[in-house]
Amino acid sequence: MKRWVRLLILLAGGGAVALGAELSDPGTPWAALALIGGAIAAGELIELRPPLRAAIPISFAYEVVLARRTDVSDAALVLLVALLASLLLRAEPIALERRLLLFLERLAAGLAAVLVFHGMFDALTSLSSRVQVLLALLAAAVAPLIVAEIARMLRERTLAITRHGRSADLALVTSAMLMAVSDQGVNGKGAMGLWGPVVFTIPLLAAWYSYEHLDEIRRTYSQTIRALGAAPELGGMVRDGHAERVAALTVAMAHELGFSRSEMEHLETAALLHHLGQVCIDEPEDGRPPDGAAIAHSGAEILRSTELLAPAGDIIAAEALPYRDDARARPGVMSGQILKIASAFDELSEGRNDRGEAALEALYSAPAYLYDEHVLGALEIVLDRRGVLSPT
Amino acid sequence: MSANVLNAMVALVVFRASSFYLGVVVVGLCGGLEFAQIRRREWQKVAFNSSLDCITCIVAALVFWGIAGNSGTPVAVLIGAAALAGVADLLVNSSVLSLPISITSGQSYRSTVFQVTKFHVSAYPYVFLGLGVGLTYLGLGLFIIPMIIVPVVIARQAFASYLELKAAQENTIETLIRALEAKDKYTAGHAQRVATFSAYIAEEFAFGPSRSERLRYAALMHDIGKLVVPNQLLNKPGRLTEAEFGRVRLHETVSVELLRRIDFLAPVAGDTTTEAATAAVDGSVLVEPAIIHVADAFDAMTSTRSYRKALSQETAFEELRKGSGTQFNSACVDALIGAILRRGEAYGAGHEVDDHEWAVAPPEAGTGSAGLGHLVPEEQGAKP
Repeated sequence: MKRWVRLLILLAGGGAVALGAELSDPGTPWAALALIGGAIAAGELIELRPPLRAAIPISFAYEVVLARRTDVSDAALVLLVALLASLLLRAEPIALERRLLLFLERLAAGLAAVLVFHGMFDALTSLSSRVQVLLALLAAAVAPLIVAEIARMLRERTLAITRHGRSADLALVTSAMLMAVSDQGVNGKGAMGLWGPVVFTIPLLAAWYSYEHLDEIRRTYSQTIRALGAAPELGGMVRDGHAERVAALTVAMAHELGFSRSEMEHLETAALLHHLGQVCIDEPEDGRPPDGAAIAHSGAEILRSTELLAPAGDIIAAEALPYRDDARARPGVMSGQILKIASAFDELSEGRNDRGEAALEALYSAPAYLYDEHVLGALEIVLDRRGVLSPT
Repeated sequence: MSANVLNAMVALVVFRASSFYLGVVVVGLCGGLEFAQIRRREWQKVAFNSSLDCITCIVAALVFWGIAGNSGTPVAVLIGAAALAGVADLLVNSSVLSLPISITSGQSYRSTVFQVTKFHVSAYPYVFLGLGVGLTYLGLGLFIIPMIIVPVVIARQAFASYLELKAAQENTIETLIRALEAKDKYTAGHAQRVATFSAYIAEEFAFGPSRSERLRYAALMHDIGKLVVPNQLLNKPGRLTEAEFGRVRLHETVSVELLRRIDFLAPVAGDTTTEAATAAVDGSVLVEPAIIHVADAFDAMTSTRSYRKALSQETAFEELRKGSGTQFNSACVDALIGAILRRGEAYGAGHEVDDHEWAVAPPEAGTGSAGLGHLVPEEQGAKP
């Protein structure tokens, strides 16, 4: 079933319940609560997915509207029904256990929004009503994000807090506050009823649309680079999987050496494309393998003509440079050394773990001017961690 | 336009109680100011845009205030009034703005209005957002400003990042195509022309923008597998040995394999020589591989290659028609021929853009890698 069909079913379900409530008891608040419940259920299926950050559903915003609309027990009931409905209709995760865990996580996040709003609102009675409402809404909008973050940390068994993609959190928090304020107004002014949340869904949907496109193009771009990196392999010029193995190794070594995320991204791209130059140079007629420096030069020239790939081109060019003592002071050269060592290691070990130790020894035995010992040390640590080296 | 519509609607709501036209005029005048135009001292454009925004704001105010009145109006009526005011704003804006565009571009006024309206209509939801911001401002005051700016700016930033990465993706593909064409000087511009011919066919089939875009990328990258073919073979004048021909043909498999590794292009990375030829255009089978196959063959026939000179357009059309329904998808053949004739364009012998210099001049006709092996008898095509 397509996503828009599932969204429509959830929204229509909320609408049908609202209609039933209104017909059986005209003027009942349950009609509005049913509509909000429908929005929460549908909002579960629309997630903001900024790069490098776990997805966050826009239902968190409607939960803040719900929190302001009604008391804790009614809100809990609406939440339960809405999340159960979305649990039945969501496409992912497929595994039942993970689906139930996600349901519990989202229920905890929604309840946190409701409880925090009422707690804060009651605690801030000494302030002006405008400030009181805004602070309570702010706290309520942040609460589900904190719950989701704690759930992620538990799931991934980590204490690291998400640092990237936090702009999505900001968009969600401000939109949630706008929705709740426009729904009920402040001091009897500016109340739009449920039209408010509808209207202030627009910027949130605009953010969702942008993130979806960004996510798609990031994936396409990454796949394009990886596909091109595989071209020399498909042409039988290098061993299968060489580019991917070297990329994984360089990233691990760069992480070990304290490189930044952006440096690691350039290094990974360079590793994936470091044999691209080979496809552009003439094959030696005597059957010898092509010159490594010529391959690096040709590959670097291709990449340098594109702004985003130019740093990767510099790294590939630096791969062919002889080792110098001040390599650590020049990031491009240092990255080039990492790439050179990772690539040489993969060629020597033929991509096999059981030959890793011998390959590392061979690199250490090479003339001192060829490979940077500091970088070789990083390789050794990475291999040791992967269990490639036998314990001493 | 989105920011201007939003600002205008906020002004209409905020100044509604007093019908303060001067406020609306000021908002309209300021809405037309563009920093880039002021910096370039393009005062005529600044004056035109400001005046236009001012007029559209007044028209929208007349509609909105006329329907909504000054106070005590239900929100549903306000939304209806805003919707109509937005339509009025859009129509006035498009019809006036189209005048100078139509005059300077030489396009008909009617089609210009249609295009400008189509471009501006994406900003229409901002009418309702402006209404919401205006009403919320009445209750919340200036607190609303950061609260509305944050999500809008974040959405714009994310979209800007998307556009930036999209441009990078295009650049990457262009760079690789340049690298590919540097390997084989006879195929200069081939990928771009195949993309253009594919676009002609897609237009005939009324493809939507995203499907057309996917087709364009696939057409640009259809020969990307040639990266793995040695330069010497691609540029070898005359006939290839069987082993060499096998190595050249490897590029077709590699191209398909590379496209399949990209999710976006995988559905159109089909076999271009068998089922594609009979693929239906009704959507039951993706017709894109067949489109690219026909476009590729047409460009190959009408371009000079190392193994033969360009054929005439008439000969190429004849060959396409001959293979229609068997080697080539008949609907794609008809669509391409129709589109080229309707445009009055001419390709092939006598119409090639690039001059060629040969160490060994290629024959007038011959075998090749674009499915043209059957084109001429071997004894004619095998002259070294």
